[in-house]
Amino acid sequence: MNVLKMRTIRSVSALALICSSLIAARAETATARIVSAANVFLSTLDPKQRQSVLYAFDDEKQRANWSNLPTSFVPRGGISLKDMNATQRSAALALVSSALSRRGFEKVRQIMEGDEVNKIKERNNPIFGKDLYYISILGKPSEKDPWMLQFGGHHLALNITIAGDRGVLTPTLTGAQPALYTVDGKTVRPLGQESDKALALLNAFDDTQRKQAILSYHLADLVLGPGQDGKTIVPEGLKASAMNERQRAMLLDMISEWADILHESAAAACLAELKADINETWFAWSGPTTADPGHNITAYYRIQGPHLVIEYAPQRLGGDPSMHVHTMYRDPTNDYGRRLLTK
Amino acid sequence: MSKILAVSALIVLSLAVPASAHRVDEYLQATIISVERGRVQLSMRLIPGIAVSSTVIAGIDTNEDGIISETEQQAYAERILHDLSLSIDGSRLELRLISIDFPTIEEMKQGLGEIQIDFTANLPRDEANHTLILENHHQSRIAAYLVNCLVPRDPDIRVLAQHRNEQQSFYELDYAQAGGRSDPLYRKWLSDVRGWMGAVGFASIFRLGMRHIAEGTDHLLFLLALLLPAPLLVVGSRWAGFAGVRHSLLQILRVVTAFTIGHSITLALGALGLVHAPSRPIEVLIAVSILVSAVHAILPLFPGRESAIAAFFGLIHGLAFATTLGQLGLGWWERVASILGFNLGIETMQLIAVAAMLPSLVVLSRTRAYSVLRISGALFAGCASVGWIIERLLNLHGSVDVIVDSLAHHAVWIAGVLFLISLGCWSLPNILDKQATGSESPWQPTLK
Repeated sequence: MNVLKMRTIRSVSALALICSSLIAARAETATARIVSAANVFLSTLDPKQRQSVLYAFDDEKQRANWSNLPTSFVPRGGISLKDMNATQRSAALALVSSALSRRGFEKVRQIMEGDEVNKIKERNNPIFGKDLYYISILGKPSEKDPWMLQFGGHHLALNITIAGDRGVLTPTLTGAQPALYTVDGKTVRPLGQESDKALALLNAFDDTQRKQAILSYHLADLVLGPGQDGKTIVPEGLKASAMNERQRAMLLDMISEWADILHESAAAACLAELKADINETWFAWSGPTTADPGHNITAYYRIQGPHLVIEYAPQRLGGDPSMHVHTMYRDPTNDYGRRLLTK
Repeated sequence: MSKILAVSALIVLSLAVPASAHRVDEYLQATIISVERGRVQLSMRLIPGIAVSSTVIAGIDTNEDGIISETEQQAYAERILHDLSLSIDGSRLELRLISIDFPTIEEMKQGLGEIQIDFTANLPRDEANHTLILENHHQSRIAAYLVNCLVPRDPDIRVLAQHRNEQQSFYELDYAQAGGRSDPLYRKWLSDVRGWMGAVGFASIFRLGMRHIAEGTDHLLFLLALLLPAPLLVVGSRWAGFAGVRHSLLQILRVVTAFTIGHSITLALGALGLVHAPSRPIEVLIAVSILVSAVHAILPLFPGRESAIAAFFGLIHGLAFATTLGQLGLGWWERVASILGFNLGIETMQLIAVAAMLPSLVVLSRTRAYSVLRISGALFAGCASVGWIIERLLNLHGSVDVIVDSLAHHAVWIAGVLFLISLGCWSLPNILDKQATGSESPWQPTLK
C-alpha cells in the first residue's frame, strides 16, 4: 500500500514537473527570446567581430551615432551585414526580427530593399545597398538589466532599449527612397501606410478642424531629426480633444505605424500609454493636401503628445518629394529608455 | 581602418555625387528658441546643401585658403547677427554671441557640414504678456528656415501663440509671464530649482543613488571590508584586541567620511564632464580596492591610514558613479541638481548599511569570536574581488555578481543574525577578549 502510494506520488510529481517545464518553456518572455537570439548571434561572431559589435551600455557616443544619411557619410558603429558570412547575417537578422513585430520587420526589410533599388538606379553606386546596415549592442544582453540593440544604415535607425520586460523603440528613424518601387512585379511602399493614414485623417476633418490642423508655413525638413535629442517643442495644429471618437481612433492607428514596429508585448505597453494621453495629442500638417493615387503625400506632418513626437518629412532631394521621405519617432520623456533607467 | 574608410568614402564621393542622398540646393537654417524669465536663447543649426555650399563657403572662408580661421569664424558670426533681428514688444533686442562651431570645409562641400551658433538676449522679468519676434534674412535667396520654440521649463511662462510667414523668415511668439513682481531673482531661482527637480526627477535620482549602492555590491563590500578592522588595535604587525568604543566609532566615522569626500569629488567632476575615465579600468580598480581592504582586514597593511586609503579609493568609486549619471544625458545645470540627489541617495544607502553593521561590529569586536568574523568576512571580500578582477579584465560576466547579489538580497537577514550572534557571544563571558583593554594599550596608531 505504502509503496504504491509513494510510486503514485513520484509519478504524479514527475508528470507535473514535465508539464510545468513545458509551460514555462512556452511562456518564455519576449525579452528572453531576444536575449537568446542576441547570444546566438554573438556566438556566431569571431572575437574581433564581437568586439566591434559590443559597446559599453554607457557609451553615449555610440548611442547617438545614427543618421538618415548613407553609411559612407556618417560611419555607424558595429558591423554591417556586408562584413558577415551567411550564418552570421541570418543570425543578425533573426535578432533584429526577434525584437520587432512581424509588420515592423517587414517595414525594415522594405526600407533596406529600397536602398538596393536606389543602388541599381544610381548605376551601382557603392554607397547604397541592402547589405550596408549595421548592428551594434550596448551593454550585455540580459533579461533583467538594461541593454540596447541598434540596427541601421541609410534611411533607418532603430534604437531599441530593453529593460526587463519593457522595450523602448525611441528614438527611431525610418525613411524611404524610393518611396515606391516594384520587386518581382509587386509594388512596394515601405512607408505607404504612414502616408495614406495621414491623408485619410486629414480628409476626415471638417473645415474648422482642417483650418486648425493645417499650418500656414512651409517645413523644409524634420525639426527633431538626428542629433536633436532631448528637446520638447511647443505643439501646434489640431488637438485630439477637438476630434471625434472616430478621428481619434484613426490618429492612434496612425501612431501604431511607428509604435508597432517593436515586438508585440512592448508595443502594447507603449500604445496603452499613448492611448491614455490621446486627448493631449496634436496633429499638424504642412503642404499639399492631396496626393496622386497610390503615391505618398508630399506634405509634412507632425503628431505630438506628452510622450510622443512623430514627424513625417518629404524630401525634395532627388526631384519628386513623394518618392523620398524621412520620418522620426521620439518620446522626449523616454528617448533611449531613460525613464526606465531612473525608475 | 576608419581612416581608410573615410578616404575611400571621399574618393567615392568625388567620383559620383549621388543626387539623392543629401541636401541639394537649400541652405537650411533651423533655430530653436528657449524662453526663460529674463533671458532668451537662440540655438541655430546652419546646413548648406551641396549645390549651394560653394556660395556659403565663399562667404565664410573669405581669404580662400581652405581653412576657417578664428577671425573668419568671428566675422561670420557677426554677419549672421547682423542678418537677424530679434525684438520684444516692438523694441529691438541686443543679441550676444554665446558660441559658434564650424565643420570642416570638406564636410560643407559634401553637404554634410553643420554650423552651430548660439545667441542670447535679455528679456523683461515682469508679470505681463509679451510678443517676441525673430526675423532672419541670412542668405534669404537660398535659405530654408525652420523656427521652433521649446516648451518653457518655467511653469510661470506660458506660450499663447506662434505666427510665421510662409518661409518662416518671420516668427512671432506670444507668451504670458506670471508672478514676476515679487522679488524676481528669488522667483527665478525657485522656478529654476523647481524646473531642474521636475525635469531631472530629483526623487528618482535619489532612488537611483540608493539603488546604485544597494545593487552595486562592490562599493559596499569595499567599505565594509575597510570597516572590519576599525574597532581594533595594531600590535606589532598584527591586529590585536578591541580599541575602545569611542575609538571604534571615531574610526568608522572617519573612514566613511573620507570615502564620501573622495567619491563626491570625482562624481561631481565626472558628471560635469570635467573628468572622463573609461569604465572598464575603473571597474577593475574598484575590484582591486576591495582586495586591498580585504587583505588589510587580515593583516594591517596601512594601519592608521585607513581614512587616506578610503578617500583615495573613493576617488575611483566616484568615477564609476559618474558614468551612471552620464547615462542620463542631462544638461549642465540638471547635472548639478542630479549630483546632489544622486550623492544623497548614495550616502543614505551607505549609512543604512553601516548602521546595520555597526552594532555587531562594536559588540562582537570585544570578543574573541571577532577574529572569526573579521577573517571570514575578509576572505569572502577577497575572493569576490579576485573573481571580479578576473571577470572584468577578461570582459567576462556573471558568476561573482550572481553569488554576491544573492547574498546581498538577504542583507537584512544577515545583519540581523549577525547581531544576534554578537549578542550571544558577548553574553558568554568566557570568550570575552582578555586583551580588550584599549585605553591601557601603548599602541594607538589610529588616533595619531
